[in-house]
Amino acid sequence: MTFERKRIGIVCPYGWDTPGGVQAHIADLATYLISQGHFVSVLAPTSDEDGLPDYVVSAGKPIAIPYNGAVARILFGPIAFARVRQWIAQGEFDLLHLHEPAIPSISLLACFAAEGPLVGTFHASAKKQKAIFAIGPILEPVIEKLTARIAVSEAARSTLTEHLETDAVVVPNGIYARRLASGAINPQWTGNTIGFIGRFAEPRKGLNVLVQALPSIIAEIPDVGVLVAGPGDADEFLETVPQNLRNRFTFLGRITEKEKADFLHSIGLYVAPNTGGESFGIILAEALAGGAAVVASDIPAFKALLGEGRYGSLFTSEDSQSLASSIVTILRDSQLREKFRSEGKVYAQSFDWDVVAERIYDVYEMAMVGLGKVTLSSENRGWNKFLGK
Amino acid sequence: MNFTSLSILFVVAIFAWYLSFLATRLDRLHHRVETSWANLDGLLQRRAAIAIEIARSEIADPASSLLLTFAAHQAREASVKDRSQAETGLSGALGILLETSVGDHGAIEKDLLRELSELNEKIKVAISLHVESVNRTQMIRSRWLIRTFRLAGRAPLPVTYEFEADVL
Repeated sequence: MTFERKRIGIVCPYGWDTPGGVQAHIADLATYLISQGHFVSVLAPTSDEDGLPDYVVSAGKPIAIPYNGAVARILFGPIAFARVRQWIAQGEFDLLHLHEPAIPSISLLACFAAEGPLVGTFHASAKKQKAIFAIGPILEPVIEKLTARIAVSEAARSTLTEHLETDAVVVPNGIYARRLASGAINPQWTGNTIGFIGRFAEPRKGLNVLVQALPSIIAEIPDVGVLVAGPGDADEFLETVPQNLRNRFTFLGRITEKEKADFLHSIGLYVAPNTGGESFGIILAEALAGGAAVVASDIPAFKALLGEGRYGSLFTSEDSQSLASSIVTILRDSQLREKFRSEGKVYAQSFDWDVVAERIYDVYEMAMVGLGKVTLSSENRGWNKFLGK
Repeated sequence: MNFTSLSILFVVAIFAWYLSFLATRLDRLHHRVETSWANLDGLLQRRAAIAIEIARSEIADPASSLLLTFAAHQAREASVKDRSQAETGLSGALGILLETSVGDHGAIEKDLLRELSELNEKIKVAISLHVESVNRTQMIRSRWLIRTFRLAGRAPLPVTYEFEADVL
């Protein structure tokens, strides 16, 4: 097959400078597409224009808005809309890839403004909300323009079918499985250690469930320790932890990719006590790829990712006793732990970027059949042609 | 011109704009149905071609070779109405062959099988895209405004393509 260099425009709804799953996904995807020889331009809100990668175009400063249980840094409004239109008109893209187009953001604006091969990726999963009945009719004609829809997980897909009555192709998030698989043992982190990576201060990450479970775990395994990596104020978090448990916690702050691989390879087990709001669980896939035995809450996304408990242990979400017994079982039973570690590592290869990006590109190819370039939609309106504009 | 007639004119203009908006929307959907079908059709044709190659190769024993060739030809020659059934038949024949085939294959056979599995992945995506666009179009066309004003024009109502994706 002959290779065609495509011009691909990607729209990121969230502020580029704040770390997050969607931003990381887009950065990895863009890097992969560029390495394949395509031209990629990413339109994203940014608060600081310095130090951006070459492929990122700023759409303006994002505004912080509470959305889906977290603070989303997004952008919309007439000035942003003008920017989006300009970007589309000048980009001469063969395809636009819009991320999370169903929230009020530049992705939605781009979907509204553009016409041609459009692919939308839906990341979030949310419970059915009353408000959707009100916003459904507004969103529907816009979302309908997407030539192809991708959902990052079954949970995101069912959210989409429930809310907007459309179906999507499921392509999971990508991870660098190979890079993570080559971690080294760091003796500081080995032993009966429970690892956690993420913004620990957010309630939906569920670290307080682990805190509640800790006394019962200590009763069985006296030398257990908790290693927490990720951004956040450790002192503030420790205030909420009972005095006698504080010395069990070690905070590592933000860690590099290399440290992450070592971390996952060294720890006794990885815990994901999230209480919800999670659609795929990228960190869980990374933990598996890094060769960690995993204990996770039984929220739908994790259940699906862990193959209903085949590749990791599941506990009843928000139930600290259930979490404690799962952790004790894994730390005691080294045979089970090894089984989870080795099988999970092989399984996680299917989330590797090479595999995932190839599947995304397949969807691109199908969306591009017979549709020509991306244009501004108002140019194509019947009455504009009629008026000879 | 007084206020009443002005506002009536305004409402009529808005309504006309809305109808044109709906018509554009519908036109886009019809176009999508055509392209997604062309896409799916192309992939299915390629699959039939590979099936015939597999039937001629050493993967297939004479009996399954016969079955496969027959199914592939049927899939190629089927009319639009019988298409999905014929394709399901081909999926079944390929499924039986791939499940039961054992032993080492040469490089050519391996290539064929790899190409087939890649194609199957693409077909799954193409089916879901096509089914989605057909359902959408049918849904929009059933609305009373669109039926009353005959916004669909003379475009035929797209037919649902019943394809059992899990056969693949």
